[in-house]
Amino acid sequence: MARRVIIVGGGVAGIQTALTLSQRGIPTLLLERESELGGKLTGWHKLFPSFTPAHEVLDELRQRLNGSGVEVRTQCEVCHVERSGVTLASGERLAADAVVVTTGFTLFDARVKEEYGYGIYDNVYTTADIERMLNEGRVAMRDGSAPRRIAFLHCVGSRDEKVCQHHCSKVCCITGVKQAMELKEMFPEADVFNFYMDIRMFGPGYEEMYRDAQQRLNIHFVRGRISEASPTLDGRVQIKAEDTLTGRPLKMSVDMLILIIGMRSNASNAVFAADAGLQCQPSGFLAPRDLFLHNTESNVGGIFYAGAVTAPKNIGESLSEAVVAADRVTEYLKRA
Amino acid sequence: MRFYAPFCLPFLIGVAVMFSLIVWKYVVWFAELPRADKKRVLYGIPTPRTLAAVWEVIRECLLHRRIFRVNPLLGYMHMSLAFGWFLLIVVGWTETVAYLGLHWVPLQGHVFFRYFAPPLMLRDKPFFDFTMDLLLLFVLSGVALAWLKRFWSRAMGMRRTTRHVPGDRIALSALWFIFPARLFAESITCGIYGMGGFLTGGLGALMASAFGRSTLVVFEQGAWWFYSIALGVFFVALPFSRYMHIFTEIPLIFLRRYGVRPHEKESSGDQFQIQACSRCGICIDPCQLQSVLGIDNVQSVYFLRDRRYGMLTRDVAQNCLMCGRCQVKCPVGIDLNTLRLNSRDTMRNTPDERRYEYFAGLDRSEGAGKVGYFAGCMTLLTPRTLSAMERIFAAAGEEVWWADRNGGVCCGRPLKLSGETDSARRMMEYNTQLFRRHGIRTLVTSCPICLKVFREEYRLDGIRVVHHSQYILEMIEQGRLRLGRGMATYTYHDPCELGRGSGIYEEPRRVIEAVGALLEPAHTREEALCCGSSVANTVISDADQVRIAESVAGELAATGADAIVTACPLCKKALVRGTSSVEVCDLSEIVAKNLR
Repeated sequence: MARRVIIVGGGVAGIQTALTLSQRGIPTLLLERESELGGKLTGWHKLFPSFTPAHEVLDELRQRLNGSGVEVRTQCEVCHVERSGVTLASGERLAADAVVVTTGFTLFDARVKEEYGYGIYDNVYTTADIERMLNEGRVAMRDGSAPRRIAFLHCVGSRDEKVCQHHCSKVCCITGVKQAMELKEMFPEADVFNFYMDIRMFGPGYEEMYRDAQQRLNIHFVRGRISEASPTLDGRVQIKAEDTLTGRPLKMSVDMLILIIGMRSNASNAVFAADAGLQCQPSGFLAPRDLFLHNTESNVGGIFYAGAVTAPKNIGESLSEAVVAADRVTEYLKRA
Repeated sequence: MRFYAPFCLPFLIGVAVMFSLIVWKYVVWFAELPRADKKRVLYGIPTPRTLAAVWEVIRECLLHRRIFRVNPLLGYMHMSLAFGWFLLIVVGWTETVAYLGLHWVPLQGHVFFRYFAPPLMLRDKPFFDFTMDLLLLFVLSGVALAWLKRFWSRAMGMRRTTRHVPGDRIALSALWFIFPARLFAESITCGIYGMGGFLTGGLGALMASAFGRSTLVVFEQGAWWFYSIALGVFFVALPFSRYMHIFTEIPLIFLRRYGVRPHEKESSGDQFQIQACSRCGICIDPCQLQSVLGIDNVQSVYFLRDRRYGMLTRDVAQNCLMCGRCQVKCPVGIDLNTLRLNSRDTMRNTPDERRYEYFAGLDRSEGAGKVGYFAGCMTLLTPRTLSAMERIFAAAGEEVWWADRNGGVCCGRPLKLSGETDSARRMMEYNTQLFRRHGIRTLVTSCPICLKVFREEYRLDGIRVVHHSQYILEMIEQGRLRLGRGMATYTYHDPCELGRGSGIYEEPRRVIEAVGALLEPAHTREEALCCGSSVANTVISDADQVRIAESVAGELAATGADAIVTACPLCKKALVRGTSSVEVCDLSEIVAKNLR
């Protein structure tokens, strides 16, 4: 009898794992909490560094999935994970011979950093808001006018002891550069500033993009974090920061403050870990058996990981990892 | 009449050493007191405060009323030892007077009276035999509890008990043996001569019948030697051990009544407080660093111990939330927070003269009202509170002078709490001048940290300093704020600096009750928990702070309230990190939301 694999989470990692497993003839059930597959990518406009529209990637994955024979169930939230299967929020229990956890990450809630005024003042946005606005085809200030000065703030909810997010979310630097370029091209007259601690350009083409942003588009990069923001009488946002390269405090009124929010671990990770005896990292992300030869396996036989559930990753990395996870699952089923 | 036997020597030496050391210590500490404190004592002596102090000494040093209030069993243990021993001495002295009239009897004659009485051929006085035995039994019951406490502290209602230094262990062991040794020595003598009350006489008769009188004669000297040595060892160890508190609490009570208290700089007067610590360990259980984080070497008892023996480290001095939960429980009433602050001052007060040059000519305030509002750094970082206050002031029709809405200078308390007293002073001076220059009559702040320092350290004569909870309540009572009362339920978290720190418990509760229903958490008012993010602690990590916040938020959420309300921007920020299920807001936010 063929053995069944359950994949928890229908983002890019989950879809790719399911596709690879089904190609190998393994019956696969893909569970997704939301009503449509795609995870965080569904809310994204274009992907760095090539400005590839997100839907291109997503459409192709969905297309492949349609002809693959993978069983998909959406609006199906998994509450408990064990090596023998999963339990849904409805109480239904689904048995499996192996489980792949591809639940990804949670976006940092910018309201926790109350000092930046997200949800309090007009014209304070997050990177997720900007992607949504770009998808809707209209980026504007609250009153509908075009912004003339835009500030991006890096590392909101990343590398921040105060909110216990010690880790680097890795992809936000390049996201900030990408969005700065998109907005600059949309509003060529506007001054665009990026306030950063470090700029970490880890991927192919990223550094070139960063250089392009500065040289071609004249986007300003200021090393220093914004300490607080306050509203001005005319509905703009006043920010206080320090330029740590010149060692001077600075104050600036901007039309838009965009918070580049990081990735935090899912609250469900701790639940899954308690259910199945899985190990979590101090950051809350699930811990793979090791970072080299068993990076898609958990410490429990029969439970596997792919994508950002173990650490912040970009789309490409998540997709590659999904193939590796599928490979490890196949091996495991053969052995078992 | 001769009242001397060789076994008296250890006792006599012990007494001599102890009293000379104690007197020497007290004389030195008093001589080194600042002039102003000496004056306070001298002017205080001929006032009713002296009588009040005497009464307090009886209540606290003998009866241990405050320990009774915290923990009755522990109170009984201390009372039986202290008051029992005291009565043994007083009644013992009366007994010798009753036998011998008002003759001079040397000290050892009183202490070892049972030994000296038979050769004097004194007739029995059954009243004293009975009373002395009853008192001895009273003290022995205390000793038994002390043993129990050491080996099984939970039976005494304490989760944890203090770990001791060697001097304490020597004194403690000697103390444990003093009264059992006295019982045996007196019983043996009573057994030999057929006298004594129900306890010593009874035990003596029993031993005489069991071993024979001649055996008892052999053991008599040994038993008295043992008793004397136990006393001697205890007395010699006392000035070096925690038992120094037995005597030191007395001058401490007098000094306190005369207004001599610890200052922001260390002084010799602090020694009266430090050495009055009995290391009972009552301060350990309330400490959240202990109960939540398992840190068990920084509590007040260990801080005072380390400071007393000169082994205080920065880590111990700095690792404290200064929430004051231990201070309200301290049975000796030691000024724990101030002592820790002046230790920090000694360790860290390194002012940077140039750092504050930018104060010159700085004034970012705006507005021209007679009521000033000082948001403070933490309120500027929690802008929901600030905007709620703006709406409240507008609704009350108040013209406001905004001290720091566009940025200002810190109130100074965070620096003071970390020990940088002189730098803090610079900020206090700047703000004082700023407030004076703008001629305000009332100063409102929404930050209890600022409030406390404004009230205690600033000289703001003519300016009334109020917390926003007080201000809002006044506005409600004067009819200047009209609020709609909704169906929402709120639970209230008492900020340490506002509650225990400034004694403001009522006003925020009455404001909450004006807009909804108030549900009290398990720990409330003086007992309230600390949010864990105190600026006073520079040692624990943010992750540790969050663990404390989670435990506190959990307790608050357990009330089932719709929202957690607090009246401190720092507490609010802390609790937000500790819960994702319940909304956390400042008092001003719920008021602004319910304005009509």
